[in-house]
Amino acid sequence: MEYDLFLGCVIPARLPFLEASARKVFDKMGIQLNDVDGFSCCPDPTGIEQIDQDTWLALGARNLSLSNNGNGGIISLCSGCVETLKGVNYHINKDEKVKEKTNKILKKAGTQYDGLTSVKHFGQVLYENLELIKKHLVNPLDGFKVAVHYGCHYLRPSEIIGWDDPFEPFTIDSIIQALGAETIEYEMKLECCGNPVDKSDKELSLLMIGNKLESIINSGANCVALVCPACYQQFDFNQRELNKLNETDYDIPIFYLSELVALAFGIDPNELGFKYHRAKPTALLQEFNFLK
Amino acid sequence: MSLINFEFRNEILQYNASLSYCYQCSTCSSGCPVALITEGKYNPRKIIELALLGFEEELIEEQNPNVWLCSTCQKCLELCPQKVELTEIFSVIKNRCFERGKLPEAFVLQAQTIVNEGIAIPFSKSILSRREKMNLPEIKTAEMKELEPIFKETGIENKIKVGEK
Amino acid sequence: MRSLKNSKSVVIVGGGIGGIQSALDLADMNIQVHLIEKQPCIGGRMAQLDKTFPTNDCSICILAPKLSECYRHPNITLHTLSEITKINGEKGNYSIEILKKPRYVKEDACINCGECAEKCPMRVEDEFDRGLRHRKAIYLYYLQGVPAVMTIDSEHCLWFTKEACRICEKNCDKDAIDFDQKEEVLKLDNIGSIIVSVGYDVIEDSIPLNHYGYKEFRNVITALEFERLLSASGPQGGHIKRLSDGKKPKKIAYIQCVGSRDKRNKDYCSSICCMYTSKEAMIAYEHDNEIESYIFYIDIRAGGKGFTKFIERGENEYNINYIKSKIPEISIDKKENPIITYENFDTSEIQKLKVDLVVLATCIVPPKGIQELANILSIQLDDFDFIKTNPYFPTETSREGIFTCGCAHEPMDIPQTVAEASAAASSAAEIIKGGEF
Repeated sequence: MEYDLFLGCVIPARLPFLEASARKVFDKMGIQLNDVDGFSCCPDPTGIEQIDQDTWLALGARNLSLSNNGNGGIISLCSGCVETLKGVNYHINKDEKVKEKTNKILKKAGTQYDGLTSVKHFGQVLYENLELIKKHLVNPLDGFKVAVHYGCHYLRPSEIIGWDDPFEPFTIDSIIQALGAETIEYEMKLECCGNPVDKSDKELSLLMIGNKLESIINSGANCVALVCPACYQQFDFNQRELNKLNETDYDIPIFYLSELVALAFGIDPNELGFKYHRAKPTALLQEFNFLK
Repeated sequence: MSLINFEFRNEILQYNASLSYCYQCSTCSSGCPVALITEGKYNPRKIIELALLGFEEELIEEQNPNVWLCSTCQKCLELCPQKVELTEIFSVIKNRCFERGKLPEAFVLQAQTIVNEGIAIPFSKSILSRREKMNLPEIKTAEMKELEPIFKETGIENKIKVGEK
Repeated sequence: MRSLKNSKSVVIVGGGIGGIQSALDLADMNIQVHLIEKQPCIGGRMAQLDKTFPTNDCSICILAPKLSECYRHPNITLHTLSEITKINGEKGNYSIEILKKPRYVKEDACINCGECAEKCPMRVEDEFDRGLRHRKAIYLYYLQGVPAVMTIDSEHCLWFTKEACRICEKNCDKDAIDFDQKEEVLKLDNIGSIIVSVGYDVIEDSIPLNHYGYKEFRNVITALEFERLLSASGPQGGHIKRLSDGKKPKKIAYIQCVGSRDKRNKDYCSSICCMYTSKEAMIAYEHDNEIESYIFYIDIRAGGKGFTKFIERGENEYNINYIKSKIPEISIDKKENPIITYENFDTSEIQKLKVDLVVLATCIVPPKGIQELANILSIQLDDFDFIKTNPYFPTETSREGIFTCGCAHEPMDIPQTVAEASAAASSAAEIIKGGEF
């Protein structure tokens, strides 16, 4: 199995440790990830798409056209990139006029896009290979009580994303359970983390993540699992700020799905860059014997 | 007193015909997380109502309700019984705001970075060294000469200049 | 007196108020009628209602005389526990086959004393009362049902499942139990015309209503369940009590358009719900003057005669608050009290309302088995699986000689159903009295 790896902007340039865990996990599973030169910003579905749709379509189509190698298509580590790339595919394939207009722009850049590149979120690839995951399971995550946060762009709009269930998702919970961890239900599980509002109103964005964290803490979970770097920034970067504002004492470790799989595969935690997390998972990892 | 601008309403309809299916039931606002925490000051149903009526001034000049508060969570779109594509319609409205330079600065800054460097977050020196330490490969992103013709064709740079003023 | 001209009969499929009205009209015209009903008794949905709008008359009080008349009318033959399985011929000259399931009780011997049911050891969820209480494996379909005889449910009866028991038989003074009864095929010919009046099902039987927590939250129920709770002959004897803790609800919310007017479920209006929720709220108020009702709607569709006044009375005299806001989802607090988040249209504020009970006004849909029936009869269904009719000939199906009335072809209320039933009877009679045959 072979995919072209689309990293996006946030992970490689701000959270490279998430990229590290993903590469190691897929390497262990024998799934090849090709690095493709020349990708640009996907572009950001909460940014460029909202201000200039033509540019969004053209940049997205150009990225998609770079992966036309007849392999499994694109695999992305970021829900936002998946939303954009699947969204561009959707619009181009749905409306001939959109395809024509976009290709007219791409022609100026010396390229065209046929609308045929497949795009998968890495969560989808993991779920599709659950048996392979179980095969490489070395250290079951006993004692981990995981609050899964699917985020929004992993699931919706369901007509564009075409994966899992928009209101009763189960794929990430299934993967976490296959790793031997317990998944915890909590009241605000399906709510948005608020990251996209950050560009318009930081206070509102903090309020949204505050509500989520409160709900998670109250549920008895001891960590959070994510599949989107925008959510990651919301959850990990804002705990300190919320503590200052509201006199709370949030300090719950935030894991990317690939980090949890890496731990379960027995990959050395010291290679996974946990020191770069702001809410340190050290105590949790020590408690369950992943770290001394 | 505001005037209705039918052209504006028709423009939106052209981009997304589902706007006309709305029967103002407020399923969207009842489920919207931002509407809940702003106690209705942000209100997706109202934005669609104003779009249907062609109230361009309220939506673009005054931004009341402020379409930029949408968190793009797509809950409204997914719940809407008439399959109105709210977030896509909001996108069209925001695109218009950009053309007039009426939007939060952060969006303009991001656009400028992408136009200059091709990516939204340039690699800082410390990140590059961190990547090396973690044995991560060097990423070769798009060359500007491949992207510049696209930006020229869509005219995004001119629109950014409007936003910078 | 029968004349040669009237020697053809009419077959009516479906023994609800529509089928019953058609049957009585035709029988009074001296035409032989075969009324086929798949349940053990005739009566249909109207028998499940407590009161009917807009007069709020007792439903069974209006229905029961018609049930009796159907039973006793010399020109009507009731075929309960029966379904039509074959049809041949054409308008004016059909022949059909009916499959009659065994009741395992002799209809002419059973006097409905109930001794058998008292002794029966098997408890089964009662369908007529929507699973809100239990019945026995030998049971009366509903209290005022006609024919007023017991039935044995072979899927749950210990004799049929384990070859044990037969206590009912031992306790029956009239020797009315007969475990040897078998399925019967009945052939009828000389049928002049057919009327299909199979009524409706409710959408909660085919889709989960997870957004509203139906079946998960005990204080979220559907309108038909609420109707049974309001009924004096229902599972709570007409006392309204919450299913979670038995407490009397003081704040009841009704959610309109659950599954209807919805491109993701049924893209049509269910027609009767705006009126029946107001009716239910009024009846609830009559049971308990402290009840506050909140009806969450998209539009209140009250177009019939006297209907607007009905809604106004609801608002002014029965403590009903009409709130324009369709509700997509419901949550509950720690005491299982439902919480509704909605938009206050006057102020654009998003508000939360905590209530004691939520009633979902669910979409009515074509009944299960309609596709098979349409295939058997060779009549067309529309995109929603309702029987296809022409708006200018609303009781004609796509096949000559086969007519329809009531919710089988379109959601409608009882007055409209009755009117259509008479219309269908008239068309059916035309073929028979026309003299060509």
